[in-house]
Amino acid sequence: MNEDLKKTLLNPIFKGNPITVLVLGICSSLAVTVQLKGALVMALSVIIVTGLSSLVVSLLRNSIPNRVRIIVQLVVVAMMVILVDQVLKAYAYSIDKQLSVYIGLIITNCIVMGRIEAFALGNKPIPSLLDGLANGAGYGIILIIVAFFRELLGSGTLLGFRVLPESYVPNNLVILPPMALILLGCIVWVQRSIQKDLQEK
Amino acid sequence: MNTNSNVYTIVYTTIIVVIAAAILAIAAMALKPKQDANIKAETISQMLTAAGFSSKEDLAKLGNDQILKMYSDNIKTAFLIDAKGNKIGELETETGNIELQDNLKQENKNIAAGDPQLPVYVFEKDGDEINVIPIYGAGLWGPIWGYIAFNADCSRIVGAYFDHESETPGLGAKIKDEAWFREQFKGERVNFSKPNDPFDIVKGGAPKGDKNDSEVDAITGATMTCNGLDAALDTWFEAYMPFLEKKAGVTGADKGDCCGGDSCCGEGAEGCEKDCNHEHNHNHQEG
Repeated sequence: MNEDLKKTLLNPIFKGNPITVLVLGICSSLAVTVQLKGALVMALSVIIVTGLSSLVVSLLRNSIPNRVRIIVQLVVVAMMVILVDQVLKAYAYSIDKQLSVYIGLIITNCIVMGRIEAFALGNKPIPSLLDGLANGAGYGIILIIVAFFRELLGSGTLLGFRVLPESYVPNNLVILPPMALILLGCIVWVQRSIQKDLQEK
Repeated sequence: MNTNSNVYTIVYTTIIVVIAAAILAIAAMALKPKQDANIKAETISQMLTAAGFSSKEDLAKLGNDQILKMYSDNIKTAFLIDAKGNKIGELETETGNIELQDNLKQENKNIAAGDPQLPVYVFEKDGDEINVIPIYGAGLWGPIWGYIAFNADCSRIVGAYFDHESETPGLGAKIKDEAWFREQFKGERVNFSKPNDPFDIVKGGAPKGDKNDSEVDAITGATMTCNGLDAALDTWFEAYMPFLEKKAGVTGADKGDCCGGDSCCGEGAEGCEKDCNHEHNHNHQEG
């Protein structure tokens, strides 16, 4: 694999993470991280949507009229999101119920449109696909880390299995969205102390 | 080619939109049977949970076919009743072509219009009948619904299950997630003497262990959802009231004498039933 592709694939996972560095997609990462299982499915859905939308838009990039490009992108993204939602309804009904509106709201997730505008419109299909997948993965990793702590401390379980003893009193603050924001803040803190060049002077 | 001309822009967007619409239409059609089967199995598993045959968690591990079979194995009969509590139709209960009256949104409108077709699902458990009825109403963000199971003579609730479309996770969503909330309903009775307000979800604590007060505790932080659920229970219990009263053998005698006890207000006593209804209405006005 050549250097550029490698960079495209690895950069969004840590160094240019869409949530902690670009600060995109905060809303859904606060909402769907109460349980690990929901976060995993959400992460997978976003990876599929970002990857395929970037691929399709990149294939169309030379033909899209510049004045309506956002609308065309939106049509592509919305189509992908509805497809994912329909497939989940057919094959993973209980999880779809749990995620409810948030699957539909992937359409408004800034990561998808952000990567299409910033990358897919100016690059060939394969790098665009990888960029989309990698950004989805970068989003997913943060989601899973936050959900891990929230489910562990908020319910005492992981993936529905009891991990902490029955005597542990679930912390209700962790269940509520503000705690997700605080956890997210902690992750940004940890990342910036490791990666000194991100620190503002 | 000039991709910025008006004609190109219009033609291009039209083609893109038509293609996207076609793909979505095909996907929706192809996946519809599978989705409908999921919804049906989900509805049935909610009923089975309310009736106490299994827990929702255990049912979630079963395939759709197993859930449908469990339904057919345990159901005795399912039928529709009208606003007066009279049977007006049967629902098929055999595996393979199970019929459900699951368009609760429509029935909720029909109740308001005074012309409902309400389903009653009669299960058999350990030799006893369990009557399961649905409820439906508005929560804070979207519809909420559920299934309430009564014992053979509909005098006591034996179980309940609630679901919602988009209540707040951790707050309103607790009507579904918290087992203690559903457990409270077990053993409670419907208050036949208050047909307009037969059941209450109260703030500040319903007396624990009192199973005769037709009251359960509301959920902290979910006042709006609980108010919605309270209204849904009242509306649907009121709609089912004639049926429940018949089953429970509640007569005028229990609510201020009308025509002398069980014998007359039971089945087949057409003329007298009118008297009973008349008396009931009279009681309402006084109440």
